[in-house]
Amino acid sequence: MESLHPRVRLLWVGRTAIGATVLLGLVAAVDRLLISLPLEVAISGWAVLVAVGIVHSILAHRIWRFKLEDDALFLVRGVLTRTDTSVPYVRVQHVDTTRGPVERAAGLASVVVYTAGSRGADITIPGLAPERATELRERLRDLAGESEATDAV
Amino acid sequence: MRRLHPRSAVVQVARASLQGAFLGFFVGTALAGMLGIPRVAIPLLAPLGAVITGGLALARYYRFQYEIAGDTLAVQSGVFARQSREIPLGRIQNVDTKQGVLNRLLGLSVVAFETAGGSTTEATLDAVDQSEVERLRRLVHRHGGDDADRAVPETDGDEATAQSAHEDASEPTADSVEELFHFDFSDLLTYALVSVRPAAPVLLLAGLPLGIDIIETVLRTNFELIGAEASFSPAVLTQFSPPQLVAFAVLTLVQFVAAALVLSIVLTVVEYYDFSLVRDGDDLRYQRGFLRRYSGTIPLSKVQTVSVRENVLMRQFGLATLVVETAGYSGGSQQSTQGVAIPMAPRESVYELAHDIEPFETIEFERPPTRARRRYAARFSILVGVVTAIGYAVDTLFLASGYWWVLGGLFALVPPAAHLRWRHRGFALDDDVLATQTGFWRQTTRIVPYYRIQTVFVGRSPFQRRRSLATVTADTASSNSLLGGSATAYDVDEGTATDLRDELRKRLYTDLLARRADRDSVTE
Repeated sequence: MESLHPRVRLLWVGRTAIGATVLLGLVAAVDRLLISLPLEVAISGWAVLVAVGIVHSILAHRIWRFKLEDDALFLVRGVLTRTDTSVPYVRVQHVDTTRGPVERAAGLASVVVYTAGSRGADITIPGLAPERATELRERLRDLAGESEATDAV
Repeated sequence: MRRLHPRSAVVQVARASLQGAFLGFFVGTALAGMLGIPRVAIPLLAPLGAVITGGLALARYYRFQYEIAGDTLAVQSGVFARQSREIPLGRIQNVDTKQGVLNRLLGLSVVAFETAGGSTTEATLDAVDQSEVERLRRLVHRHGGDDADRAVPETDGDEATAQSAHEDASEPTADSVEELFHFDFSDLLTYALVSVRPAAPVLLLAGLPLGIDIIETVLRTNFELIGAEASFSPAVLTQFSPPQLVAFAVLTLVQFVAAALVLSIVLTVVEYYDFSLVRDGDDLRYQRGFLRRYSGTIPLSKVQTVSVRENVLMRQFGLATLVVETAGYSGGSQQSTQGVAIPMAPRESVYELAHDIEPFETIEFERPPTRARRRYAARFSILVGVVTAIGYAVDTLFLASGYWWVLGGLFALVPPAAHLRWRHRGFALDDDVLATQTGFWRQTTRIVPYYRIQTVFVGRSPFQRRRSLATVTADTASSNSLLGGSATAYDVDEGTATDLRDELRKRLYTDLLARRADRDSVTE
């Protein structure tokens, strides 16, 4: 089973840190403008959030696995709720590679697989090296293309 | 290219003109001072507004053109921003019609074409007359018939279906229309009584401007009934003794429930009046409605899932609801009623029709392992604990009755509740379909043919992991995602879950290959 790129942990921690900082900024603004809030509590809250984010990222990266099996794309993810997902190739409508701004800064990319399902309409594999992402996208397209168009629904 | 029916043009122009007149009058008089319009001109604002909007509506009517040519539906519309759309007929999942009271009087219907995967209707024709509706349905149906040669709909009688599709294509007038089900008024009333939709109607009432006044009056009357002055303010509540407060709460609750019941019954009767279900070749077609008339087609070749729903009351009387889900969207206010093939009928009839649509053997459900009951018991206990804690807080802070511990009595309900939930969950792997069942108050049995399965998920929450349980979900393309769309086997043993997942993946492929083989042999 293939793992995600180790740098994705940095990406996830970065995202948590940004979110926590935004929250802290909001609290500071409220403190300045409306009612006084205990800023020491807010800052320690920020530290807690980031710490939890770091632990979560490490665990999530350890758990995230995917594999191109014979009939389906198989992936395992989730820290609290462990979910394994099987996307049959014959159900793949199309495949995209995407790179958000933060991802680009980290030098990573994601692959998004679209199906006709209602619950799992798009499955994302984050944190791949860009070349690997393109390779994976092409491979999935080939595997999906081997099946008839009418079988997708 | 055709235009919409001229009568609909009259309606649209008239409606637009009225709106324009009102707009012109009110906005005009409001802004007259600012814009410096001379007094003399003010009476002309209304007709001017009418002419402008009416003219726009007329232009829109002339610009809206549509036609079914070959295997595409083409629609052109728009006065300023021209829009041209081509929809392959094979992509059209449902053809639904709607008739408001006015349109019914004029003999017109609004036609909506739905395709898979879209969140909005692909094309709407507002409005056409009945013969045009039939013509459009036939053309879409006939094209669906051609597709049936290639995408075999059922595993048995494939050749027969392909042959009849051929016949349908060459003799459109020889369609056999078979009535499957009809609701007479007493059945309709029973259905309305048994399928109550509690809170929604009353919340609707509260939203209306008059509704707030009604609620206020009712609450004030309740105050008087329990022997207090009719001054209506929250502070008054602290003057009451606990028994009075309880009486007040109970009275208000009973009134709320009664009002909700009555409204729900009335709404259901109005929506399902004169419900009929017919089978037209490869389509199921239903009609319903008292004021507004709805009709929809459910193409059998596009069925993703068949669900049988039975709430507690229905089960007592041996009744059930049949819902047929396709990949068409189910958005808008009709979300909960989209795809309802039979609102209510004896269980045997419902299962018979389900069997016609998607063949399966008698289903024996495999229940979750008994340790799942402990999980449910734990969950419900936590819930009761939270409720008791809230009750304690409310009591100490507000009521001071000292009776909060009565809520602890709810713990006695936890074991039977856990057992009932366990007993009403299960799954079955049939020859052709996966069946899942869940729910006590509203039991839903979902039947998914293997070749309709999309993605398969196996989820394990921390609590499930502790007990070696897992939940398996088979996703489908049916867009009824609020009420379903995926068949879920809850709290299955971990080993069984991985086996089930692998089995579903395998059967999906073998079923698809079998259908492809049949399809190729038919066309050769």
